[in-house]
Amino acid sequence: MSSKADDDFALGKPERLFNLTCTLLYATEGLTKKAILQTVRGYDEEYKEGGNNATLERKFERDKESLREVGIRIEAEIPAHEDENNQVSVYKIKRESFSWPSNIKLTPKQLALLNLAAQAWAGGSLSVEASRGITKLRAIGVVGQSSDIIGISPKIHTYEPCFKDLEFAISESQVVNFDYRNPETGEVKTRTLQPWVLRQIAGQWLVLGFDEFRNEARNFMLRRIVSPVTPAKNGKEVTTFEVPSQDVIDSAIASLNDHAKQQEAVLAIAPNSEAWFRYELDLVANRKDNIHRLNYHDVHVLAEQLREYADQIEVLEPKKLAELVTAGFRRVVDLHG
Amino acid sequence: MADEQKLDDTDRFNLMLALTGLLIDGQEYTVDELVDHFKTSKKEIVKAVRMISYTDLAKSNQDGSYGVDYDELREGFVSIRNTFSQAVDEVPRLSSRQASALAAGLVYLGSLPGLVDNSEIEELQRILAVDDQSGKNKTVLIEIGPRDTGLIAIREAMAQGVSITCDYLNLKGETTIGRTIEPLRIDSQGEVIYLRAWCPVNNGVRSFRVDRMRNAKPTNQPISPEALNAEYDDEIYTANDSDTVVTLEVDPEAYSLIFDFKPLEEPESVDKTVRRFKINVGDVRNLGRVIARFGGAARVISPEIARQSVRDFALNALGERSSTTPKDAE
Repeated sequence: MSSKADDDFALGKPERLFNLTCTLLYATEGLTKKAILQTVRGYDEEYKEGGNNATLERKFERDKESLREVGIRIEAEIPAHEDENNQVSVYKIKRESFSWPSNIKLTPKQLALLNLAAQAWAGGSLSVEASRGITKLRAIGVVGQSSDIIGISPKIHTYEPCFKDLEFAISESQVVNFDYRNPETGEVKTRTLQPWVLRQIAGQWLVLGFDEFRNEARNFMLRRIVSPVTPAKNGKEVTTFEVPSQDVIDSAIASLNDHAKQQEAVLAIAPNSEAWFRYELDLVANRKDNIHRLNYHDVHVLAEQLREYADQIEVLEPKKLAELVTAGFRRVVDLHG
Repeated sequence: MADEQKLDDTDRFNLMLALTGLLIDGQEYTVDELVDHFKTSKKEIVKAVRMISYTDLAKSNQDGSYGVDYDELREGFVSIRNTFSQAVDEVPRLSSRQASALAAGLVYLGSLPGLVDNSEIEELQRILAVDDQSGKNKTVLIEIGPRDTGLIAIREAMAQGVSITCDYLNLKGETTIGRTIEPLRIDSQGEVIYLRAWCPVNNGVRSFRVDRMRNAKPTNQPISPEALNAEYDDEIYTANDSDTVVTLEVDPEAYSLIFDFKPLEEPESVDKTVRRFKINVGDVRNLGRVIARFGGAARVISPEIARQSVRDFALNALGERSSTTPKDAE
């Protein structure tokens, strides 16, 4: 094969997206939808002059969506000399929203680190996003001996089936509904949330957002979501929300973290037991007692951790924690009777 | 692994953009270099380069082409000549989701002591932040508690290719003092870090929890050929013929067990939320702590001996029956 003509050539979606991107990036005046469908390879052959091009228009809409997913935004504008008539909207890709700032280069070592960061998501909910991101970054990387960071295999867990849907809803600013099991009562209630951010704290994934029912910022633990996460709808339209500024989100995080700092558990741990070791009491020289104090975010999660050590730990405070540990064991006995 | 992911249409398009961005300055690379650089297959690289060369903007009044020398491509060399007056000649930005995923991955790496210099992580975070001009907030944040500093000594030993000594507390609650093991790989799974290491006593690869180690120190004894040639897979737990098949049932609160144990087959749905699956267990007496911690959100369905063991663990914790500590658990 030495020329294009010899190739078994079919113009697929990747090529169409590429042609569309090239065209719109440099059509500084923008192109009307009609002009796009008439001229861009991948659409042009199917375009029917004066005919019905509804199928082709839908294809263009889907392509716009695919581009947006990878971070390329096609913007529609009404040219200054036209009146407000949607028919003549023109489409373009703004160069400044497309390109990397020039003169950033990544060394092979930096690429290796980013690769490892992407791999940490492997198999998890964000693995596609991470690996597409790293592919782009390789374009500004120096090609050369890859400096492998050997001997490490990191893995970020995303066990929860709802992770992906929540992450998508956050990126699209969509209000969501889900059923949430109250750990206190076991009661399941449907919640409506404007999701802001997914946070992993001490191995637990939480979604922070504005709870429309309680009218305040709230955390929800993903593992307590017991239904699919679905977009809230107003008729057929998906309901979206105004994303608050990063300051608002940061202060909500800070206030919830402060709350955790004020929660303290007091434990009596059997000397030289496994729990003694786990809580690193063996590392304190000349220990006079077996009392261990720690702060916690969620009393139920802490109860779970403590149950692993069975009778090696006695909960002195708070009373509620002690009760939860015991009640959990009682339930296990009943369920395995 | 990210490297082995199958490419879909969007990935291929993404690769085309990235390749164009890299190749646009006219430099020549070998296909193998690009395969290594983009961590994809030769087939995908060649395909993407060909697809780039098919770009035809003639109808939208832009003359020119991305020229690819096909003879050279067959011989394994890639370069692109660009004769457009205007064309894609820059590297595309990351989407905010992409930037967010990578940034969170970096935070995770940065939390592993001794792995990387944190100033390098910070530098990369700055680069990712420069790229994120969408004005969008981050979608994912990771906050990790203190890590085991034992990891620093282990990384040091790995860099020097030597074994370590450490004190180790096994699952039976017994501490071995001054155990020598030969570190092979660190498996960091969420909050728990395992060291896969060759154990000369057992003559095999074993998983050690780093948080159960104390006083880890590099020795001056190089890693043995047996260790270097040892084969081990990605699973922390390797099944044995003597394993018992145990059926578990979990509520969403305990779905993590589905990932921690590798189910023997696809979990089945008992109802809308409850999942049931089978696992291999080396010693059912170790199940108590694993299952009981969930306080009822995880149940053993069968066999009876495994149910009994979980019940005994909980009863013992309640102070209602004497302990039945496993005698040969690892």
